[in-house]
Amino acid sequence: MHNWKKLGRVFDPREIGNVEWMREFAQAPSVLMFDRFLRVYFSCRPLPDKNGQYVSYSGFVDFNRHNLFEIVRVSEKPILKLGDVGTFDEFGTYPVTVIRRGDEVIAYYGGWTRCESVPFNVAIGVAVSRDNGETFTKPGDGPVLSYSVDEPFIISGPKIRRFKNRWHLFYIAGRKWILADGRPEPVYKIRMASSSDGLNWERHGKDLIDSRVEENEAQASPDVFFHNGRYHMFFCYRYSSNYRGKERGYRIGYAHSHDLEHWVRDDAKAGIDVSEEGWDSEMVSYPHVFELDGDIYMFYLGNQVGRSGFGAARLEGKLT
Amino acid sequence: MKWAKLGKIFDPTKHELPNDCHEFAQSPQALVFDDFVRIYFSTRQRDPVNQKFLSHIAFVDMDKNFRNILNVSTGTVIELGGLGCFDEHGIFPMNVVGVKDKIYAYTCGWNRRVSVSVDTSIGLAVSEDNGLTFRKTGNGPILTSSLHEPFLVGDPFVSVINGAFHMWYIYGTKWISRPGAEAPPDRVYKIAHAVSHDNRTWIRDGRQLIPDKLNPDECQALPTVIRHNGRYHMYFCYREAIDFRKNSRRAYRLGYAWSDDSTHWARDDGHAGIDVSEEGWDSEMQCYPHLFRCDDRVCLLYNGNEFGRHGFGLAILEE
Repeated sequence: MHNWKKLGRVFDPREIGNVEWMREFAQAPSVLMFDRFLRVYFSCRPLPDKNGQYVSYSGFVDFNRHNLFEIVRVSEKPILKLGDVGTFDEFGTYPVTVIRRGDEVIAYYGGWTRCESVPFNVAIGVAVSRDNGETFTKPGDGPVLSYSVDEPFIISGPKIRRFKNRWHLFYIAGRKWILADGRPEPVYKIRMASSSDGLNWERHGKDLIDSRVEENEAQASPDVFFHNGRYHMFFCYRYSSNYRGKERGYRIGYAHSHDLEHWVRDDAKAGIDVSEEGWDSEMVSYPHVFELDGDIYMFYLGNQVGRSGFGAARLEGKLT
Repeated sequence: MKWAKLGKIFDPTKHELPNDCHEFAQSPQALVFDDFVRIYFSTRQRDPVNQKFLSHIAFVDMDKNFRNILNVSTGTVIELGGLGCFDEHGIFPMNVVGVKDKIYAYTCGWNRRVSVSVDTSIGLAVSEDNGLTFRKTGNGPILTSSLHEPFLVGDPFVSVINGAFHMWYIYGTKWISRPGAEAPPDRVYKIAHAVSHDNRTWIRDGRQLIPDKLNPDECQALPTVIRHNGRYHMYFCYREAIDFRKNSRRAYRLGYAWSDDSTHWARDDGHAGIDVSEEGWDSEMQCYPHLFRCDDRVCLLYNGNEFGRHGFGLAILEE
């Protein structure tokens, strides 16, 4: 079992102050390394509208590279505009994942639209920054990875990686909507696509991770990290219904692979679980693993899927 | 091109239709058998949840003179999609294509949105019973929104040319919101083309195929293509983006383009050879054309007034 030492919560959007677009939530942290600081992208929300509906924006927080508890800066405005009327990202840009390409920073993100019979649908968009990741512009109004024959809806949760000179996008694809007490709830599974240019994607077309807690288990945040000669994936999973509390809410799972296609799920090795009390006592989710000056860290969300921000853990021992 | 109008050949209000459908026989599309022609169309049911329309596919079998109705479908031809699927709220239109021993259906699936009325994507289904029923190849679409075709991908028409699948279709370019207007946003869409060698992976040209005639907000729909006398001919319909439902001058008309290589098209509406009638069922608009060959005749199915609420008609090419 991996041994993660929890360091506590490092960012709480509610403490930032009077920022209209960042009232609460700091979801799906994604790291971009700089010489002197660590930039962490996340998705946040203004207060809900009069119907209780949210939009989501993405921003970033810069931490002192040598002290993750020291906030150097918080983005003054969202990094990305919401889409125009009728486009796939009209109501939200969540989550965001970033990677460098030469002098540019490329972001992939889930774009949210609202539907009539189900509450929402998601497709993956791309945006480019030429100012070190401060602002991003979209090359087009539509998504780069949208619905397909066997991935009919909710194409979301992107994690962009480059291994052996090829782009890999780990993401989730909706399998079905189930009705729980009359309320539509989505079931989604972890998938992968690869690309030579980052724009045209070839889907792998299979679930990467077996379902464990139930057939309709929902899986998210497939965070892949190469270390010690193998690929490690930390992700999160939950039950299909009544998952907003502790018992059936998100937990962090683990799998490993030698070739990115075949994965062995081994949640017992994940090494991180809910705390006895505090900000992550009901759920842990949306892990993101990165290496910083010789140590391996994980950012992750706590209760209510990041409503009160994200925390950090440091790996003690090895990732094997 | 010169067409002889045969008039309206099918009126949905005179028949009992499956799926609790009433009125509308939109976007007629033909599958020609040895001794009859099966014409698929989209008809409408009222959604019991909210009284909005749900479009279903039905068909009518006619003799080859298009005078006698042999049969009207009584069962479900193709199921609408499940909860949250791209074709949950309707299939309209459906293009049926025989390729060797297979019968494929390329569907335009509708699902309702909140800030705009609807989005569409293109699906694929296969028939194992001579076109009586179709089974989808998956719950999702084969062609949908992409970077430069952001929404409203629909109206597929497929033709196999030299072993390759060619699809002409439409994609949305914008939704027009009028500040202060009570009406929901109006859509603008254009004709495009994609090609596939395996009927699975489609490569888009990535450009608007047919230039606008009215203005940049012209809406172009339902391209249909046939090869005749050594040249490719395309019909489609086009209209103004707003005030197009009741105002006949701004409503759908049939447009025409030709090509010698099926890639480069010249728009030439002046040679369409067909227009609205002085009076009658197609006097206010013409829309949703479908070209097909029946024995040695080139035929054109299309809808008239009110987008086909009262049926469809046929014209035969004279020269």
